[in-house]
Amino acid sequence: MSGVTGTACAVRLRGITKRFDRLLALDAVDLDLRRGEVHALLGENGAGKTTLMNILAGLYRADSGSIELGGEQVSLRGPGEAIAHGVGMVHQHFKLVETMTVAENLHFGWDDTPVLTSRRQLADRADELSRQFGITVDPRARIWQLSVGEQQRVEILRTLARGAQVLILDEPTAVLTDAEADELFAILRNLVSEGRTVVFISHKLREVKAVSDRVTVLRGGRVVGSCDTADVSVRELGTMMTGAESVVVARSASSACGEVVAELVGVSAISNRGLPALRAIDVSVRGGEIVGVAGVSGNGQSELAEVITGLRRVEAGKVLIAGKDVTGRPPAQFSGAGVGHMPEDRIGMALVASASVRRNAVLRHYRGNALSSRLSLRRGAVRGFADDLVRQARVQVRNAAAPIAQLSGGNQQRLVAHREALVAEKLLVAVHPTRGLDVHAAAEVDQALLDRRNAGCGVLLISDDLEEILRLADRVLVMYDGQIRGEFAADAADRQRIGMLMGGQDEESA
Amino acid sequence: MSTSSARWRLERRLDVSAARSVGTRTAGVVVAVLGALAVFQLTGRSAPDIAGESIKGTFGNWSNFQETLIILTPILICAVAVALGFRIRVWNIGVEGQFLMGGWAATGVGLKVGGPQWLQLLLMALAGMAAGALWVLVPALLKAYFDVNEVITTLLLTFVAQQILVWFSTDIWKDRVAAVTNASERVNAKLPGFFGSTTLNWGFLVPVVLVIVMFVVFRSSRWGYEVEMTGGNPRAAEFAGIPVKRRIVGVMMLSGAVAGLGGMIQLTGAVHRLSVSFSNQYGFFGFIVAALAGASALALLLVGLFIAFLLRSGIAAQTRGLSVALMFAVCGMILLIVGVAEIATRYRLSRAAPEPMAPVPQEAKMSNTHFASAQEPA
Repeated sequence: MSGVTGTACAVRLRGITKRFDRLLALDAVDLDLRRGEVHALLGENGAGKTTLMNILAGLYRADSGSIELGGEQVSLRGPGEAIAHGVGMVHQHFKLVETMTVAENLHFGWDDTPVLTSRRQLADRADELSRQFGITVDPRARIWQLSVGEQQRVEILRTLARGAQVLILDEPTAVLTDAEADELFAILRNLVSEGRTVVFISHKLREVKAVSDRVTVLRGGRVVGSCDTADVSVRELGTMMTGAESVVVARSASSACGEVVAELVGVSAISNRGLPALRAIDVSVRGGEIVGVAGVSGNGQSELAEVITGLRRVEAGKVLIAGKDVTGRPPAQFSGAGVGHMPEDRIGMALVASASVRRNAVLRHYRGNALSSRLSLRRGAVRGFADDLVRQARVQVRNAAAPIAQLSGGNQQRLVAHREALVAEKLLVAVHPTRGLDVHAAAEVDQALLDRRNAGCGVLLISDDLEEILRLADRVLVMYDGQIRGEFAADAADRQRIGMLMGGQDEESA
Repeated sequence: MSTSSARWRLERRLDVSAARSVGTRTAGVVVAVLGALAVFQLTGRSAPDIAGESIKGTFGNWSNFQETLIILTPILICAVAVALGFRIRVWNIGVEGQFLMGGWAATGVGLKVGGPQWLQLLLMALAGMAAGALWVLVPALLKAYFDVNEVITTLLLTFVAQQILVWFSTDIWKDRVAAVTNASERVNAKLPGFFGSTTLNWGFLVPVVLVIVMFVVFRSSRWGYEVEMTGGNPRAAEFAGIPVKRRIVGVMMLSGAVAGLGGMIQLTGAVHRLSVSFSNQYGFFGFIVAALAGASALALLLVGLFIAFLLRSGIAAQTRGLSVALMFAVCGMILLIVGVAEIATRYRLSRAAPEPMAPVPQEAKMSNTHFASAQEPA
């Protein structure tokens, strides 16, 4: 830590409390950030990391507590005031205008932008900024043409250009390949060596250990502890984060594999943007196995899930479910053939937020004779079916007639997991099934997948969380650029090799 | 939001209760009506007198109440048509046009097809429904298959319908014998009077029946369930194998058919001739009723009655030299105030730590841009 100068403390938060309606998001949180350090903010989803940093960045107001920047107590009325005090934040979802160039994005909404200017001048200024901060960007490129990693660099550069001395990054590596993440870490080291402070929000232990100087762990809106990263082990951090030794999923070795339940033969598909998303891939899943698909998101995994559940049109190739060719059939025939689907976007796709818990519970089964005749729903049967499902899935719900939007993400996903398990006689497709869930809900969802496998059903688990895949899968496929780049048996899975393949690095070409 | 009340701040509610939602709408209506009365008072008229006359003129005696029900009928039918669309989150703002085309088709059948009266009425009803449904077919197909905004297409087709009406009532079917201008010949088929009444006919029960049927359909039919789920989240509906596009087209055509039936009832129950003033913007009033009532069937009846009351009051106000247009303005005001209040209910004022005013949390701010959704059924 070469850059510690003057007041070592850049930011001092004291007793920060924030309540959203009845939910206590932050409970008297204290936090010190020093100059010249990468400070990791570690915690599970919902621990309050982002809320705390949104307060520091002026987006939220704390209900109580004080903020000191460089020894001076401040009150931040908005992001503009925060950045004027030298605090800038790069959010998980970038705030860039896709159709505009990098240079334009760097300059809009900035007082330093010349009133009369030209495209060329903006580009030159952007080049200058790029040199000044050692962050490479192409000023003339339009945002939509850039990879996520490049977009992130634009965001960082934009924040730095506005004079950020304290740079907050919210889950910056969630969308990056390993190689991109390494580049980012190099940028961060460079920034702190110049005396800036970087706050690194994450729930990935390995990264926190690798990149940070100090770490503060949050759990349920409270600070569990703060320490030098070098003084704690990954295991200790994990325990601090989850509050107990991590929840272990009861996993038995795969039972002998059964028949092939689902098969893609030379399937190609295009993405919503009209670009090739799947390039003639072959995938097969047998009954009684979990096939994990690893990869950085955006490499065709979503399209793979949609193709194998009948939601996306196949441009070439064949889709077989239980040996039957169902290429080009409507999605209802896939579910009819026994394909269950836990889509990545729960609220966007698997559930109708405005409809009741019960009506959501029967979404996949209401057509069955038990629940409806041709014209009418059997309301008693619907209620019984839904209430049984809610009980089985251990969904915590006060009123099953209330809109499902009122349930937490964990409870919504419990319901989806069990509902889809009922559909999945042959195959269960689970996409990021535990994303955004607390440990307990995640463990239950994992268990639901294992139960399905043990019942002889095939499971296709698509996730960008490699840990999750290695923990659950019997077989691992690595996807990159719409192709399957590698395949591993669970016991032969080589983390490093998988990481390389995920980043498009083949041993042959490397 | 002044700086002096710096200790108060807006906070987003996680859920809005039904009672609060009803309260908001009621308060919006009350504020708008009081505003109108204040204008009367300030312009030198007696607001209490006008209010009293309005109530008497609407509900005062059976004969006045019959007149109110006659106005209520087309408005409520159009409101049902709009509310149907809301169920699948479609804004059929062109019910007026479908209503007109329903009246047009019914007139055509009434003038050209003979037969016993009951058969004539039946054929006219079918023709009216078919015309209304067909009038919305193109917007429905465009909406379902090409994602073309139905607000624009249905609204613009309303103007086309108005022109067709002008053409037929002042030229093709013009009554060249009787001393009426700008109207078609008289259609003889008439809905039977309500227990012998000469003003009121059985037609006023049609929207009531429609409201009840709609309630039952959405509570316990499979089709209603599919429509509700499609309206709530089309992607989830597609995911579950519901034929989303067909449901959208189906609901829109049904909505058009209901509006068209309204036109037929207006013709055979109230006006008996096609004319340029066939509809008093009933389609648009129906839209206001549906928007204010939200998803509730009972509210549809009550709000419909209230709007009919306002229109009757407008007629009463004419005797005092006021224009009916005033009531249109009051209706517009109600819609505006309720729209604003609707968003306000999603927040609450809370007293907080001695710190200056908080900015609204970001996600809450973004929901402000969804003003439109405020008027959708909950």
